[in-house]
Amino acid sequence: MRNRVAAGLALASLASLAVAGCGGGAAGSAGSAGASSGAPVRGGNLVIDIATPQQDFDVNTTTDNESIWTYDQVAQTLYRNGPDGKSLLPGLATSYKLSGDKLQWTFQLRRSVRFSTGAAMTSKDVVFSLDQALNPKSIWNFIDAPIKSVTAAGPYAVVITTKTPWAPLRADLALFANAIVPDNFGGQTRSQFFSHPVGTGPFKIASWVRGQSLKLVRNPYYWQPGKPYLNSVTYNAVSDASTRVVQLKGGQAQIIEAAPFAQLAALKAAGYQLGLFPSTRIDYVTMNELDKPFRDPRVRLAISEALNTKAIMQAVFFGHGQAADSPLMPQVSYYSPVGLHTGDLAAARKELAGSSYPHGGFSVDFIAGSGDPVQTTVAQIVQAELKPLNIDVKIRQLDPSQVTAQEQSFHFGMRETYWTMDIVDPDEYVSFVLDGTAGAFANWTHFNDPVIDKLTREAEVTFSSATRQALYTQIQQRAAADAPIVWLGYSPYDYVYSSAVHGFHVYPEGNAHLEDVWLSR
Amino acid sequence: MPRYLAGRLAQVILVLLGVTIATFALLHLVPGNPARTLLGVHATPHEVAVLDREWGLARPLPVQYAGYLGRLLHGNLGTSIYYQVPVATLIAHALPVTLAMLGIGALFGIIAAVPLALLAATRPGRPADHAVRVLPLVGLGMPPFWVGFVLLLLFALTLRIFPAGGYGTTPAQHLASLILPGLTVAAVTTPILVRSLRLALVGALGSDFVTAATAKGLPRSRVLLRHGLRNALIPAVSVLAVNLGYLLGGTVVIENVFGLPGIGNLLLTGIFNRDFDIVQSVTLLYAVIVVLINLAADVGYATLDPRVVLGR
Repeated sequence: MRNRVAAGLALASLASLAVAGCGGGAAGSAGSAGASSGAPVRGGNLVIDIATPQQDFDVNTTTDNESIWTYDQVAQTLYRNGPDGKSLLPGLATSYKLSGDKLQWTFQLRRSVRFSTGAAMTSKDVVFSLDQALNPKSIWNFIDAPIKSVTAAGPYAVVITTKTPWAPLRADLALFANAIVPDNFGGQTRSQFFSHPVGTGPFKIASWVRGQSLKLVRNPYYWQPGKPYLNSVTYNAVSDASTRVVQLKGGQAQIIEAAPFAQLAALKAAGYQLGLFPSTRIDYVTMNELDKPFRDPRVRLAISEALNTKAIMQAVFFGHGQAADSPLMPQVSYYSPVGLHTGDLAAARKELAGSSYPHGGFSVDFIAGSGDPVQTTVAQIVQAELKPLNIDVKIRQLDPSQVTAQEQSFHFGMRETYWTMDIVDPDEYVSFVLDGTAGAFANWTHFNDPVIDKLTREAEVTFSSATRQALYTQIQQRAAADAPIVWLGYSPYDYVYSSAVHGFHVYPEGNAHLEDVWLSR
Repeated sequence: MPRYLAGRLAQVILVLLGVTIATFALLHLVPGNPARTLLGVHATPHEVAVLDREWGLARPLPVQYAGYLGRLLHGNLGTSIYYQVPVATLIAHALPVTLAMLGIGALFGIIAAVPLALLAATRPGRPADHAVRVLPLVGLGMPPFWVGFVLLLLFALTLRIFPAGGYGTTPAQHLASLILPGLTVAAVTTPILVRSLRLALVGALGSDFVTAATAKGLPRSRVLLRHGLRNALIPAVSVLAVNLGYLLGGTVVIENVFGLPGIGNLLLTGIFNRDFDIVQSVTLLYAVIVVLINLAADVGYATLDPRVVLGR
C-alpha cells in the first residue's frame, strides 16, 4: 500500500538538509555496520523512533504502514513473506494440499500455538479470522475476493475454497489483514478488540497512547522457542527527522526510521549501522489517457524517452535511488529486467515526430502535493525535460489529500506516485496498476490493453512457476513498449541504528521480524 | 470586581464563539477530506462517500456546525476520526506536557529577565546597560527551532546532561525532558521581557517615590526591589501574558523539534489528517488559554498595584 510514511520520509530528507551541517557531535556507539556477531542475548528494551504514529489496527480499514508493521509483531498469518520478498515461508500453517480441481486448499495448522492470552489457537480461530477479513466492506477485500469459503476440518486443519483456481492464494494469506485473531474477538466487540489487538505474535501490546507512543512486551506463550529475545519494544512517534537523528545520537532510541538520506554518510562515519534495505517501492509518473495526447502510445513513449530517470532518482533520493529497468520491482517474484528506454532526447524527438503530435504543442496539467518534495521535484524536472519536445507542463500544487481526489476524478494530466507491495505475488500490483478492467482503471490512467488484461487473468490461475514467469515477462515487455506510465525507479527503506542492535532486517514489504532482534550489553 | 469579572467572562464567551465559527469555517474551506486520508489510495469514490455519510460530513455545513456546538455545550469534544478515540482523551494526555513546558519556560524567563533588567536599569548608559539592551536584538533574531537544535546539540549530545528529546516515562524523566524545551521558550520570551522590564524600571527608579524612599534612608536593595521592581512589574506582567499567548502558537514548532507529545504536535498531525474534531478542539483550547492568561494578567495588575481597581 502506498501511504504517507514514505512521503514523510522524503520530506524528512529535504527538511533535514538545513541541520545536516550541525550533525557532528559525539557518536552514541562505535562498531562496524551490519554487525550481528555473537550469541543472542536475552533481555533489553528496544526503542524505535518512527516518523508517524500508529493510527488504527482494524484490519478492515487501516492502510497505514506503521500500524501494519506493528500489527505484524502482534498477530501472525498462515504464511509469511520470506526475507527476499519473493519466497513464502510457513507461518501458522505448516503445509497444504491442493485438490485436483485446484479449488480446495487444505491447510494443516501449527500445533501448540497460543495467543498472548494463553488460549490455544485452533481452526475455529482461523475460520473466524478469515471470515471477518472477507468482509466485503474491507478496504483489503480486493485481495481476498477470490476466496469463496473457509471451513474447519478438525481442530488443526482448515479448507479454503476459491471461486476459481487461484495461484496467489498463499501469498494473499500472508497479508496482515488475514492474520489470525481469537474466535469472536475473544468475546469483545470489534472496536474493543482492535484498540488492543491480541494474536499469536512474539509481542503483545502493553500500552498505547495514540499519537505518541506504543509499547510492546514479550508474549510469554510465543511458540518459537527462546524468542523473542527483547523484553520490550517501544515505538515513539517523532515527526521531525533531525530530532530522530538527535535521539539516536543521544541514546534515546536505538533504531530510527526514515533517516534523512542527506545525513546517512555522516551517521555511518560516526559508527552507526545503516540499514538500506531493498524495498518494493517503485516511483512512477502516470499519464491520464482521457487527455487526448496521452492516448497515442508514441507520445507516451517519447515522454518516457525524454526523461532522464537515472538523474531523477539520484536527485530525489540523494544518490540512493536507482533507475527502473522494468515496470516491476526487482524485489518481487517474476521481475525481469526488460529494459526501459529513457534519457535519450534524440530518440524522444524521433518518436514524437512519428506521433499524432509531431511538433508537440500541447500543455499538460501536472498535479503535485504541496510540501511533498518528491512529487514537486519530479514535476519540476519533468517540466524542464519536456520543454525541448515543445510540451508545456503546467504544475498545479494541491493539498496532498486533494491530489488523490483529483486523480480519481480524472482531473489531471500527469502525476508522480509510488507503490509498495504488501504481498510477495506481483498480482496485487499488476491488477491495480496495469489492468484496465479492474476498479482502479490501471492506476487511474484509463490505459487498457486487452492483451495485458488477459495475461494477468491467466497468471492468476496458472500454478506453474515457469509459466507464470513467462506470462509476467510478457506483461512487463508489453507495458514497457506501450509506456502507459513512466517508471522512474527503485529506492531502499532507510533505517539507522546503534551498533548494539543485532538481527534487525527489514523485508522488502517493509515489515521487520523483531523476534530475531537482540541488544548487546 | 465581581461585576468586572462577569463582564469579562461574557466577552470571553463571545470571543470563544467567534473562534469556533472561524475554525469550523476555515477547516471546511480548506480542501482535503478526512475519509480520503484515512482510506488511502485503494478506496473508491463510493467508499469515501459512504464514510463521509457515516461521519456526518455529507450534511450541510450549518447543520454540522450546530451539531458541533451542541456537543461542545454538553462538554463533548468529539471523537478523533483518525485514532477513533475521544478527543478529550488525546488532549488529556497532551495538555499537561505543553502546560508544563510553558510554565517552566515562563519561570526561566523571569529568573533570567529580572536580574538582567535590574543590572541594566541601575546602570543606565553604561556598558552593562548596552550589553543587556543588545540582548533582545540577538534573541529575536534566533528562531525557536534553531535555538532548540543548538540546545540539543550542546546539552544533549555534547555535554550529555539532558535527554535528546522525547518525554520519557517517569516523572523525573518528564522533568528532565522539559528543561531544554523550557529554555527554548525562555529564549523567546526573555528578550522581550528584559526590554519592557528595563524600560519600566528606569521609569520607576527616576520617579519621586523612589527618590523619597532613598531620601528616607532605606537600603538600596529595598528601594530597588520593593519600590522599583514592584512598580515596574506591572507592564512586564502584561508583556509576559501576551507573549505566552503568542508562544502557544510557537509550541507547535518547539514540540516538534524536541519530539514532545504535547498539544502542538497533536494539532499538527490533526491538521495533516484533516481530523476535524482534534483541530477544532485544540484551537478552541488555545483560545481559552490565551483569553484566560490575559484575564489573569488583568487581575494580576490589581494584586501588584493597589491603585488599579478593576471594573471602574
